[in-house]
Amino acid sequence: MTEETRILLVDDEKLVRRSMEKTLLRAGLDVETAESAGVGLSMFKDAQKNDEPFDIAILDLNMPNLEGQEDSDAGLKLLSVLLEVDADLPIVVLTAFDDVARAKEAVARGAHAYFVKGREAGLLEIVNNIINE
Amino acid sequence: MKNAVTLDERRAALFQAGAEVSRKVSSILDPERLLSETVDVICDEFGFYYAGVFLVDETNEWAVLHAGRGKPGAAMLAEGHRLRINGPSMIGAATGRADALIALDVGEEPVHFKNPHLPNTRSEMALPLKVGDKVIGALTVQSVEEAAFSDDDITALQAMADQLAIAIDNSRLYDRVYNLLDQLSRRTRLLQAAAHVGRDVTSILDLDELLNNAVDIICDAYDFYYAGVFLVDGADSAGSSGEWAVLRAGRGEAGAAMLAVEHKLKVGGHSMIGTAVAQRKARIALDVGEEPVHFKNPYLPSTRSEMALPLIVRDDVIGAVTVQSVEEAAFSDYDITSLQAMADQLAVAINNARLLKELESAHAELVRTKTFEAIATATIEAIHWIGNKALPISASVGLLRGDLERLSVADPDLVESMREDLAMIDDSARLIVSVQEHLIGPAREEKPRPTMVDDVVKDAAVAMDIPVDIISYTVAPDLPLVVADTTQLSRAFGYVLENALEAMTGADEQHIAVDVAPTDDGGFVAVRIADTGPGIPEEKLDKIWATFYTTKGAQHAGLGLSACLQILKQIDGRVSAVNLPAGGAMIELLIPAFDGSLPTGKLPTAKSILLIDDDDAWSRFVEAALTAAGNTVTRSEGRVDPVTFDLVLVDDMLEAGNSQTVLKQLSTAGEGHKTLVVVSSLRVERVMELMQLGVRDVLLKPYTTAELAKVVA
Repeated sequence: MTEETRILLVDDEKLVRRSMEKTLLRAGLDVETAESAGVGLSMFKDAQKNDEPFDIAILDLNMPNLEGQEDSDAGLKLLSVLLEVDADLPIVVLTAFDDVARAKEAVARGAHAYFVKGREAGLLEIVNNIINE
Repeated sequence: MKNAVTLDERRAALFQAGAEVSRKVSSILDPERLLSETVDVICDEFGFYYAGVFLVDETNEWAVLHAGRGKPGAAMLAEGHRLRINGPSMIGAATGRADALIALDVGEEPVHFKNPHLPNTRSEMALPLKVGDKVIGALTVQSVEEAAFSDDDITALQAMADQLAIAIDNSRLYDRVYNLLDQLSRRTRLLQAAAHVGRDVTSILDLDELLNNAVDIICDAYDFYYAGVFLVDGADSAGSSGEWAVLRAGRGEAGAAMLAVEHKLKVGGHSMIGTAVAQRKARIALDVGEEPVHFKNPYLPSTRSEMALPLIVRDDVIGAVTVQSVEEAAFSDYDITSLQAMADQLAVAINNARLLKELESAHAELVRTKTFEAIATATIEAIHWIGNKALPISASVGLLRGDLERLSVADPDLVESMREDLAMIDDSARLIVSVQEHLIGPAREEKPRPTMVDDVVKDAAVAMDIPVDIISYTVAPDLPLVVADTTQLSRAFGYVLENALEAMTGADEQHIAVDVAPTDDGGFVAVRIADTGPGIPEEKLDKIWATFYTTKGAQHAGLGLSACLQILKQIDGRVSAVNLPAGGAMIELLIPAFDGSLPTGKLPTAKSILLIDDDDAWSRFVEAALTAAGNTVTRSEGRVDPVTFDLVLVDDMLEAGNSQTVLKQLSTAGEGHKTLVVVSSLRVERVMELMQLGVRDVLLKPYTTAELAKVVA
């Protein structure tokens, strides 16, 4: 990947979002954030249009869906849509510790890696692994 | 005329002597002393050679000598001298006919008995002792003079005899009244003691305190050598087996020694306690050595009398109390009523304390449940929210730590202090997140299913990396399946094992013993997890189940065991903790046994299947089921050559660790798509790890043929 790895971070939890954003920024990554699946999808599409595509997407699985409604499957739906747009996009999903079924579903739909909320150690490592692949 | 004067004078003298006798004896109330003094006074006042008093016995057939003058009297008393009423003796005739008789020049009198003790007698008079019309005995007076008595003397001497008869009757009456009073006063004393014991014991509401004090109160009130209280086993809790009467309190050192050896007596056995309980009746043993039902107790060598009194509440015998005395024949049948009154009071007090204890434990149980419910329902949303908010804290701490690296040159002390503060913030954040997981975990929706509980507990231990050399398993053969959500059950076992590991931190010997066996009634499978830690302080045994209660200091949220309780409650199971006599604590989880008929499913046939697992109950079940359906099953505990198999089934929890190495081999060989990993507990991180190794799926371990059919379909 290029020097300027562009990351799209989609999470509706402001603090979580900002915290991860800072972690990634400090590692020298180019991060843009969205607070819902809908906003995230339009940012992704815009970036492609402007020829500044994202290299990695990090998605929360539980957030407002593409229609702006609270939807426990919003992240999964966004994941599928993003992969339709860019089949090779590495996607990291944020999962809750007790949500095994949805996490499995995310991997089955093509998620590249996962990250359990509250066990933040390793987020950077996951991202770096993807960059170095 | 001289004769007449002489006669009058003699009669006056006889009356005088008679009056003197009456005066002297009328004040003597003790019957035996009255009689013995009477014979002396008669002889002294009248100048007779001998006097003796006979009394009619209970059979009304004999006149028995009760007092006799001098050595002859003593000798005859020693022989138990008696004469048949209406028999051929003067006394026999006097008592039979109620008339006085005189015999003079004795040898010629046909009715006189020639008495070898009184060889000098030449005249004898026998006078009936009468009270109203009733003859109570007879008086004999004898003289060495021939013809010492005349008919005229009879009146004077009979008057004396009548007085004597009244005095004897009075003294007997007095004696009877005195005995009656004595008995009454003993009974009063015993009843007072019973009331005293009753008053003292009913004011004690704590069962153990009550039992311990009762024996002292009883001994003090009655002045007994020993008292002990036995309760029928299980009488202070539900589920009485009723087989043994167990000593629960005993007086003094003997009591302490017997309690130390857990003294108990079989109900219905040969002991007095055992008999009293079985027959619901008080028992007395006097001069104890000869009583067949008495247990010769080496701790109580001085006991000479013992009474065992059943403790009865309504229709239930809850135990018995033993009271013992160093005196022979210390108890009589008369004492039973009053001592039983004491035992009845004690029984009521014990029953009250028992009910209170049950009520308290029911209350504690209610508080436990309600505490958890309140937290788990009303607060869970809040905790969830707080937990989510705490998620970024640790990440921020990480960032700040990075920043501090750059500052450290400028002011090392300040940086060190800030680092410490950050560590505290980080710990707190992690604790909040862990609280969230502990609380939400048990609240998750349950999917109970038939389960091999021994497999789940072993998997939980493997998942926690508990070294195999510090944990051992004893599993009963033919263990029934239980009904539980395995992920939740695994969580519950995890909490208990975690608790055991923490308890053993720093202990010399570290060992966890897991025992899995069905309960006697078959309704549950009991999983008992014992550690070699210091045990749980007795006063805290009930509290460890409460949410946010911990014995381990502030670093612990105190949620593990309460979450465990909640999980067990959801499946209608039970959990309890005890300290073991040899040290350490044991937590017992009772999980409902599956009692329906097992669902079946259609298994595939003619497949070649590789099963990778330790040799355990689950792998044997899978191998047998798949083989029976016509498949070829190859078992392996690690090494694989999967190319030739249609399906690879891997248990993620292998005793040597997890299945990582094997799965990587499979993945590298491009066989991941054939590989199913089974787990007894779905943990998101592990599932994701496994999924990323490229396996086909990660599924809950099947414990029935129906589930197995779904997994391998």
